[in-house]
Parts: sequence; structure tokens; C-alpha cells
Amino acid sequence: MYRLVPYLLLFVSTALLQLFLFDNLSISVYLNPLIYIAFVLLLPLDAPHVALLGAGLATGLVMDCAMGAAGLNTIATLPVAFLRPWIVGLAYNRDDAREGGIPSPERLGPWRFVNYLLLGVLLHHLIFFSLETLSLSHAWRLVLRIAASGVVSTAFVWLIARIFTAKFPVRV
Amino acid sequence: MHKLFEFIRSIYVVVLFVLLEVLAVSYYARSTSYTRARLLARSNHVVGGVHGVLAGVRRYFVLGRENRDLLERVAELTERLARYEEAETAAAFDERLAEIGESRLRVMNAAVIANTVNRAQNLIVLNRGRRDGVTDGMAVLSPSGAMVGYVADCTDRYAVAISVLNTSFRASGKLADSEYFGSIYWDGSDPHAVTMGELSKYAEPQPGQQVVTTGFSLYFPEGVTIGEVESAELNETRTAYTVRVRLAAHISQLSDVLLVENRDLYEIQDLLGSEKIQ
Repeated sequence: MYRLVPYLLLFVSTALLQLFLFDNLSISVYLNPLIYIAFVLLLPLDAPHVALLGAGLATGLVMDCAMGAAGLNTIATLPVAFLRPWIVGLAYNRDDAREGGIPSPERLGPWRFVNYLLLGVLLHHLIFFSLETLSLSHAWRLVLRIAASGVVSTAFVWLIARIFTAKFPVRV
Repeated sequence: MHKLFEFIRSIYVVVLFVLLEVLAVSYYARSTSYTRARLLARSNHVVGGVHGVLAGVRRYFVLGRENRDLLERVAELTERLARYEEAETAAAFDERLAEIGESRLRVMNAAVIANTVNRAQNLIVLNRGRRDGVTDGMAVLSPSGAMVGYVADCTDRYAVAISVLNTSFRASGKLADSEYFGSIYWDGSDPHAVTMGELSKYAEPQPGQQVVTTGFSLYFPEGVTIGEVESAELNETRTAYTVRVRLAAHISQLSDVLLVENRDLYEIQDLLGSEKIQ
């Protein structure tokens, strides 16, 4: 509860950025960054599992309604929220993660942090774009979409994380 | 005991996750382009205003180009009018127009307030709705009259159109100056081109040839420009051409569109839905 307001702000700002900036960019079919996943990835390391799932559900539902995507965002966000403890575990020692704190380069180490973001974003984009396309007839195109959008999203999520954690002391 | 409690706790999150995911997947699986258009139309009550303001800002940057396009269109229509007037005296022309009475087509304009080209199911949000006379099934054309999409759903103030760049979009197109037709659809890759499938092998499409709509589609009037043939290849069984059609409308740069209503649409749909046919 003690970081409710900053997280509410993060939720609203990522949603607004996604809706009014990134959804309007329309640069290329291969570049469709979905940066709202930043909210789920930046939740505290010691957040209860069910809270992660709830946050994932809320993010997915809000984005679905606003983007007119009929469940696609929810389907892609829920697994990321559900698997987040394991994603953290892959990039970082799980015992240390229990101590809590916001995922950040200072907390996890710069490369581990990027790996963690990349894993989460790629999982999300893999589900999102595979279900959106629902065909393997242009598999290489799908892979390119996931990879290009994933890398760009990760870069933006990293930027959002830097801005978000800049306000807090490292260990809060 | 504590372990058992922990186990149940972890299981309950898993169960919750599976339940929510199954719900979301089943909702998504049952959804169609129309469901998505409806969802977007509803959410525009909340976000439509902001989209409108942003679209207004964007509009300033394309005013010059738009003005040029409009002038070109005015010049073209003036020229065509002049040709008609030369052919018959103005009086006879007016008389004949009065005979036709109300045209089958009703045209109005609308501004694009949100539009994407980078998804598989792209939708266009327009700033006109039911209270401006927009109805479902209206054709959406670019200012120069090229095919863009059709209105799938509208609320009082907004309308959502299924873009030609939507993998569920279907229309019927033919080569200009010939009667060979095929079905128009988008394969989800290039936002500047669509595919015309099942075009007869006798059609012999040439690069640069115009592709226009047929009158078979209920949404589009006959003869609306779709684009021009970019390339064509015979399918594996050598029975039909698959043609790549370069779109005449630049969907990603749309800021204003024309809405065209086929006044006969409801009558035709009623007839198609009549019990005698089913």
C-alpha cells in the first residue's frame, strides 16, 4: 500500500503513452511497441503473486477496452504477470528477490535488469502477435514483428523504469 | 500443516490464472471484427475527446497537402461538369437531374481521429456518429474517392470503420475496362498494398492497370478506385491470378474521409434476410 500513488501514476501514464503516443505512431507493420507491460514488470519484487495477477488483469482489461482488442491484451499480459516470479528468478537470485524493492538496474545489475525486461517483453509480444496473426503462413514475418517490436518496447520500458526509479532510493 | 496451507495458496493463484486466461481466450475466440469495432466505439466515450484533440494538432501539418489534393479534385470535377454542360444545354440537364430525384447515394465528410496501420486488425475512428446521420455499412472513401473501408459500428458522436488494412476486410474488385473480378483482401504485411485473389486466368492483368470496386459489394458503390495492379502471378493450379494491388489511398496519412451511404442497403439486406430466401 505504501507505494500506491506512484504505481497508480505509473499505470495511468503507461496506459496514456500507449494509447495516445505509441498506438498513433504507425511507423511500420513490424514496429508496434506495447510499452504498457512496463507496469507489470516494474511492480515490487516482493509483491504477492495474486497482486501481480490482479495488476496484469487490470492492465489487460483497460488496454483491451481502449484499443478495441477483445481480450488480446489480457491474454498476453496475464501470463507475464503470473510467470513474473520465475522470470525474476531466471535473471536474478530468487532469495534476494524476496527482500523486495523495485526492479531496477541498481537492484538487479544493469545487464540482468535488461535481460529481465527483455524476457518479460518478449513473452508478452510472442503471445500478443501470435494470437493477433493466428497463422503460421508468414512465420518469418511474425518472428520479425515480435523481435523488432520487442526490442523497441524493451528500450522504452527501460527508459520508463529509469524515470520511475529515479524518484526512489534504490532499496525502497 | 503450514506446508499444506502454502500449497493451497500457490494452487489458488494458479487456478485463478488458468480461469482468467481461459475466460479471456474464449472471449477473444468468439470475437469478430465487429465485436472489436463495437468495443472501440464504446470506449470512445472516454478517450474519443483526447484522440480528437491530437488529431486536430496533426491536421495542421497536412493542411497544405490536403488543400492541393482538394484543388485537384475540384479541377477534375469542374472539368467533368463542363463536359456535361457542353453536351446538353444547362436547362435540359437540370430537367433530367430533377427526374432522377434523390440519388441512391448520400455523401458526407468526416475527420479521422484515430487510425492504425501496424496491427493485423486495423480500425479507423471517425468524428461523426449517429446524430450526424452516420449508419452502419457506410462506405469510407479517401478525399480523392479511393476505397478506405466501411463503417462497422457507431455511437452518437463517433463511428468506427473496418479499414481495408484489416485481415477480416473483404470487398469485390475488378480490373477497370473489363468484367473480370476477384476478391480484395489484405494479407497483413504491407500497408500500401492489398491482394486481389481468384481473378480469372483470362483477365491478363497488366502492371499499372486500374482496379475498381464492382457493384456486388453492398457497401461500396460501383467503380470506386481501389488502386492499380503492381504485379500478378498465376496460382499453383494455373486457374486464377493472385494480383498485388497498390492502394490508391494512403491509409496512414488519412486525416479526412468521405462517407457514402447506399440508401438501398437496408432494403437489400431486408430482402436477403427474408424468410422466402432462407
